Formats: sequence, structure tokens, C-alpha cells
Amino acid sequence: MELFGFDLDYVAFMILFCIGLHMLVVKSNLLKKLLGLNVMETAVFAFIITSGMVDSGDPPILVAGTNPPFANPIPQAMVLTGIVVAVSVTAVALALIVQIHAHYGTIEVSELKERP
Amino acid sequence: MRGLGLALVLVAAFTIVLGIGGLPPRLDPEGPVHTHVGARYAERGLEETGLRNLVAAVLLVYRGFDTFLEVVVIFTALVAVLALPSGVIGGTSWREPDAETSEPDAETSESGDRRAAAVVDRPDTGVPVSNVVGFVVRLLAPFIAVFAAALLYRGHVTPGGGFQAAAIFGALFIALGLVLGRAKADRLVPRGVRPYLQAMGPLAFALVGLLGWRLTGAFLGYPSEASAYVLREAMVVAVEVGIAVGGAVILARLFQALEGR
Amino acid sequence: MSDPWSLLVPGLVVLPLAAATLVPIVAGRDPRRAGSFTFGVVLLVTAMAAALVWRVGEVGAISVPLGGWAAPYGIEFRFDRFSAWTLGLSALFAFIVPFAWRYLEGTLPRSRWHVFYALLLLNLGGLLGFSVTGDLFNLFVAMEVVSLSSYAMVAVAGRGVAAWAALKYLLMGSVSSLLVLFGVGLLFALTGSLNLIDVAARVAEAPASPATTLALASLMVAFMLKAALFPLHAWLPDAHAIAPSPVSAVLSGLVVKVGIVGLVRVLQLSAGSGTDLALVNQVMLVLGTAAIVMGAFMAVFQDDIKLMLAFSTLSNIGYIVLGLGLAAPFAVIGSVVHVLNHALIKVTLFLAAGSIIHQTGFRTLRDLRGVARVMPQTSAAMAIGALSIVGIPPTAGFICKWYIALGAFESGQGVYGFALVFGALFIFVYYVRMLNAFFFRPAVRAEVQAAREPAWSMRAPLFVLAALCLLLGIFGSIPLAFVEPAVVELLASMGR
Repeated sequence: MELFGFDLDYVAFMILFCIGLHMLVVKSNLLKKLLGLNVMETAVFAFIITSGMVDSGDPPILVAGTNPPFANPIPQAMVLTGIVVAVSVTAVALALIVQIHAHYGTIEVSELKERP
Repeated sequence: MRGLGLALVLVAAFTIVLGIGGLPPRLDPEGPVHTHVGARYAERGLEETGLRNLVAAVLLVYRGFDTFLEVVVIFTALVAVLALPSGVIGGTSWREPDAETSEPDAETSESGDRRAAAVVDRPDTGVPVSNVVGFVVRLLAPFIAVFAAALLYRGHVTPGGGFQAAAIFGALFIALGLVLGRAKADRLVPRGVRPYLQAMGPLAFALVGLLGWRLTGAFLGYPSEASAYVLREAMVVAVEVGIAVGGAVILARLFQALEGR
Repeated sequence: MSDPWSLLVPGLVVLPLAAATLVPIVAGRDPRRAGSFTFGVVLLVTAMAAALVWRVGEVGAISVPLGGWAAPYGIEFRFDRFSAWTLGLSALFAFIVPFAWRYLEGTLPRSRWHVFYALLLLNLGGLLGFSVTGDLFNLFVAMEVVSLSSYAMVAVAGRGVAAWAALKYLLMGSVSSLLVLFGVGLLFALTGSLNLIDVAARVAEAPASPATTLALASLMVAFMLKAALFPLHAWLPDAHAIAPSPVSAVLSGLVVKVGIVGLVRVLQLSAGSGTDLALVNQVMLVLGTAAIVMGAFMAVFQDDIKLMLAFSTLSNIGYIVLGLGLAAPFAVIGSVVHVLNHALIKVTLFLAAGSIIHQTGFRTLRDLRGVARVMPQTSAAMAIGALSIVGIPPTAGFICKWYIALGAFESGQGVYGFALVFGALFIFVYYVRMLNAFFFRPAVRAEVQAAREPAWSMRAPLFVLAALCLLLGIFGSIPLAFVEPAVVELLASMGR
């Protein structure tokens, strides 16, 4: 599917990426910032996954019932790795946010900036 | 901030649109994505790796080192979360401050063990777990465990594998922890074996990698002869089990750490 | 049948990472054992890196196909002349770890010592993996090991402030990582390959496309963010100044270099793919110069010695990027070696600053006046580091900056040479301010007058590092000559 000559999936990726970026930059709440980051990550994963798809392709599992062409397995492996990395970063970020909340009693950037 | 955000978004959108316009057509079977490395995996993957699931073949065999580093990344996340000064959730410390540095003591020292054990038995959150939730989780737990094991075991033939199994095992630990309370959930994975279990992923990779080097002359290599079929299978399973067990324990511990241990 | 060199390159990466998982087990009931264990591992890694560097000098770049899958079908590790900095990297860890033994007492509760050492080892392993891999996606994952352990190390000893600095660092770092992943994804969509050399070759064959430009630009920006190149530096000063001093040494000396090594990789990639680099070089020149001047300018107004050192890192990243942007042989050689020399000097300075802060409890110039009377040895090491970073001959900092300036004049871009000298003067000003306060002002704090030199396990690494700052100045031509063939090759592929 195409939109003004652009692949629709890629356009969707671009929109998702920009939503995430906007959240990351504009939101004052640290959790929302983190969510924005996660949305951006998801956008990039979606981009990578879709780039490996093929017309009328089957999943890359060679059992009875699947036939070539197969979707490329490399992007899928890349995204699996990417997800694990994203989960790890999110866990550390959450731990830091808990820490910040315990110390300052707030997770709003606007309020954090006013404190030493 | 708002202006900056809007400007950044516009710049990003504009650049991305410019850039992705130049990508080759997406679903084209003759495109570069499908005619280069991926094509060879599809053609010879089964014969070279013995794995029917090509994603698993890429993860474990062709690009095993990526997966090794990936396992190291989640281990790093666990170490990172444990590294933070903890014990202060919601402004109140539930552990007694350490005498010398006024920071909480760890689980490794004896006194810490006793103190932590005393604390763990207190009611967790004050919010009682609904009977329905408790019953359902208890009822489903064995089935969830079996499902995770099946994903692990069948991972090289069907979608699934070590990471998926780890995610489900980890979720199971977390659900049980919520229902049974911290004290009982803590006993699911005894403290003494935790350092060993959480290290299993990277260690399994390192050992299998070394073995592969002995056998084939390449680190993380797998013997390709037909006669070595069983050995190869064993190496793959060892890595998968390492990922699953290590990953599950790390996920569960991450959750515990975030809720205040 | 099994070639030991084929194990040594992946072993260099796997050993510290696998050892890191063992640290909590080894520590057991005595956290001090974690320190000695870590030190042993780092020494072993250093020996392995030394063997590899020697081997590269003998036979040239070593390429190791992991799992036996030749590139581009598997991951390739390449140990070339640029990778030789892994030797310096692991050697510097070998100084930082024993320094940390005593430093941690009073900084971190004993129960978390093993976690700290595990993070150090993970960081080292990630840095080594990042430096030797020849595969784009592997580069990304290795970078994440480095980043994640760095975020944690910033927050490890402090409470709220440190966590806030670490989170800022994490958000910036994650955006940078995301851009790397996006760039790699784009290149994969364009070429169907992930191997650096293969991708470059296939991009060169394909018709020019805006997607290639986007991919390379995305990688460029990402690595500039990781290197904290002006104006993408906002996260650096807080994170580097708040972290415990051994961590500041690692972050400021070594981890920011991830961005530089990444930039060199992107330059290799772009050069191999036939992209015209004139504009890129121009951008690097301007940003590099701006970073030198702004870093120096902001450092002059700092009173906190660690903040001062952190801003000085900005300037030095500027020098390195400026040298790379000049794309003249002398300048690039100077830059590549400055990656190592700056690491050495910055580790020296941060460890010296750490000793002083640890012994006196103060960290601002005002409070630390006269500290050289009570801690003459540590202050002398600090002075040697300061002279080196300013670039006074015959210290390690001089020769690289000299080479970069030579390159500027040689390639007819003398204005940048002047900018460099001007920046060096500025830097001289604030280090003179610091040395003046330490050596020539009377102490104002009773605690400073009562302070003593730190324990030997902290002093000894410092002395050796200070001596190395001088030795690398005197024998500075050895590393310069070592990287020269690789630089010439890189520039040739860039058409210079």
C-alpha cells in the first residue's frame, strides 16, 4: 500500500516515531518521557520488522505447510534482541525514577529543576 | 519546551520522509533484503544448523554472539538495578539503616539475611489479593509453566525459544509473588542459588562457545557433521535453557527489586 | 587444528563479561574478594590485548569469523590497528580497579561492592566488544552493554541527585542508541547485510539514495551524542561530576570514546561506500572548534574540580573531532592517538581528584586551597596530569595536539590550527587557576590541613599513571607510528 508514493507502513513508522519524540521532549513527567522513549523504540522495531517482510511470504519456519518466499529472519532476530535491550533500559530507568521520587517526592521535571 | 518539541518533531518527520522515500520497494522478493544474506539462510539454514525455525537459527547459530551480548544486557540491567541504593520506597525505609554508611545492607551478609527475612514476613502492600485472582493464578500456574517449557523445548521447530520461555516463566514468578505474598514467593527461588541462576545465560553461552572452539576451531561454532547431530542438539538446548532460566530469574528479581524487594 | 588467535579475539570480550556474572558468586561473604578477582581478570584481559596488539603489528589486521560463518553470513570480529586502543583501555582499568579498593570504603556499603565490580567488568567487556566488532548490529548490542552499565555506575553511590543525573544520561543515551539502531535498520533495508565492510561495498554499488544519507546521518548524530560533542553535551557534566571518582575516570576517559570509535567506524563506512565527505568534514570542523572553545569557556567558571574536569572532556572531544574533520594524515593520526592519550590523562586527573576529595571531603577550589602542602604526592600527580592535558611538552597531551595543529596547517586550514592554540591557552588558564589554589594559596579549611596522603593502593596507581603521562610524551612517537598505516588506508579510501 502506498500513500503519495511512500510505503504506508513506513509512513506509520514515521508518525509513531514522531509521537514518541514529542512525548520525550515536551512531557514534564519522567514516566511519560520514558513512555515516549518506548514508543520511539517500538516505532524503530516496527520499521525493522516490516522491512524484512516479503510479498505473499511465509514465516521463516521450515516445516510442512510453509513455502518460499520466506520473510527474512534477520530483522526478526534483530528486533528480538532490540526488545530485550529496551526492556533492560526501561527497568533501569524505572528504578532510577523510583529513586528520584523517593528523594525529591516528585517526578516532574519542572519541579526537579527548582531543587538542588 | 513546547516550541522545541514541535520543531524537533517537524525536523525529524521531514528528514525521515526524505530518507525513507529512497528505500527499495518494501515487499519486493527481488529486493536487496531478500537476495543477499537472508536468501542464503532460507536456502541452507536447515542443512547448516539443523534448526527448522530460522529465527532461532539466526539467534543461536549464525549470529550467536549478538545473543550472548543480549543476555549480558539483561544481566547488566539486573546488576544495575541492584546497584542502586534501595529500600526507600514511598519515602519510608523498611530496612534498618546500615551503621557505617546509613544505607541498607545487602542480602549477601549474614545479618542482612536475618534482617531481610524478618521484614519479608510483614504484609506486603496492605491491599488484600482478591480471592478470584488468587484462585485463578494458582489454578493456571502449572499450565503456564508447562506452556513455557513447551515453548522452550519446541523453540527450534515452532515460534518460541529461550527468550519467550524466559518471559513467561518470569511472568509466572511475578504473578505467584503477587498472590502468595513476598515471603513465600521469595522461597520459590532460594537466595543461595540466585547468584548461580542469574548468571546462567552468559555462562551457558561462554561454555558452549568454548566447546565449539575446541570442536570446530571457531568460537561459538557448532559441529556440522551428521554424526555430531546429538552433540549439536545438546549444545543448542544448553544455550536455550541457560537463556530461559537465567532470563526468568532476572525478570523476577527485577520486579522484586522495583517493588522494594 | 584450533588456532589460538581465533579464540583470543572473542575471548577478549567474553572473559570480562562472563567473569562479571561470576563476581557475585566469588564475592560470597567477603566483598573484598570481588575486588581482587576483578583485578585478576582485568590483568588477564590486558595481557591478552597486549598479545593481540603485538600480533597485529606483526601480521596486520586479524579477522575472526565467529561461529565459523564467514562474513557477511556471520559476525566478524576485526582486530586492526585502530583496535589497538583496547590495550590502553584494559590497562587503564587495571589502574582504576585497585584504586577503587580503598576508595569504596566509606563511599559504598560493603554489601554493594560486588555489584560495583560487576558493573566495571561489564563496562570493560562492552567497550572491548564495541572496539573489535566488524558487524553493525553487534556494535549496537555491545554499545548497550556499555551504556547500561554506565548509567548504573553514575547512580551507584549517590541518592536523588545522582539518580537524576543518571536518568538524564539514560534518556539522552537511549535516544542515541535508538538512532544507531535506526541507522543500522536502514542500512539493512538498503543492502540486506550487517557486516561493515560488506555494507560499504554494497552501498557503493547501489545507486545513490537519500536513504543512505539518512542512515549515515542518523549514525553520525547518534555517535556525536554519545561523544557529547557540542551542542549535544548537556548530559555530560552532571553525570561525570556526580559519579564516584573511579567511575568518573571510566566515563570521562573511556566511555565517551565510544562515540569517537563509532564516528571512525561511520567514516570508514562512508568512505568505503563512496559518499562525499566534504560536508561531513566541514560539520566536524565547526562543531569540534565550537566544542574546544565552549568546553574551555565553561570550565573557567567552575569551582568544583570534578565539574571542571568534566568540561575539559568536552574540549578534548572537540580536539579529537576537529582532527578527524581535517582529514589530513597528521591530524587524523593525532586524533586517533589522542583518544588513548586523553583517556590516560583524564583517568590520572580524575583519580587524583578522587584521592583529594576522598581524603579531605571537599571538592571546590575554594575549600581545597593549600591542599598540596598536606598531600604533596597526589598534588604532584594532579599537576602532571594538568600539564599534560594543557599540552605542555614533553607530556602525553602535547604530541597529539601538535600533530593535529600540524595537520591543520599542512592541509591549508590554518585557521583551525589557530583555534586549537587559542583553545589550549584558555585551558591553560583554568588549570593554572587550579594548580595555583592547590600549591600557592594558604589553606582555609582545618579539615584540609589535617588531611593525609591516601593509602598506598590508591597512591601507587596514581604514580604509575602520572609517570605514563610523561613517558607517553617522551616516547609518543610509538603509538603514532603504530596507527599510521591504518590512518593512511582510511584516508586513501576517503580519496585524500
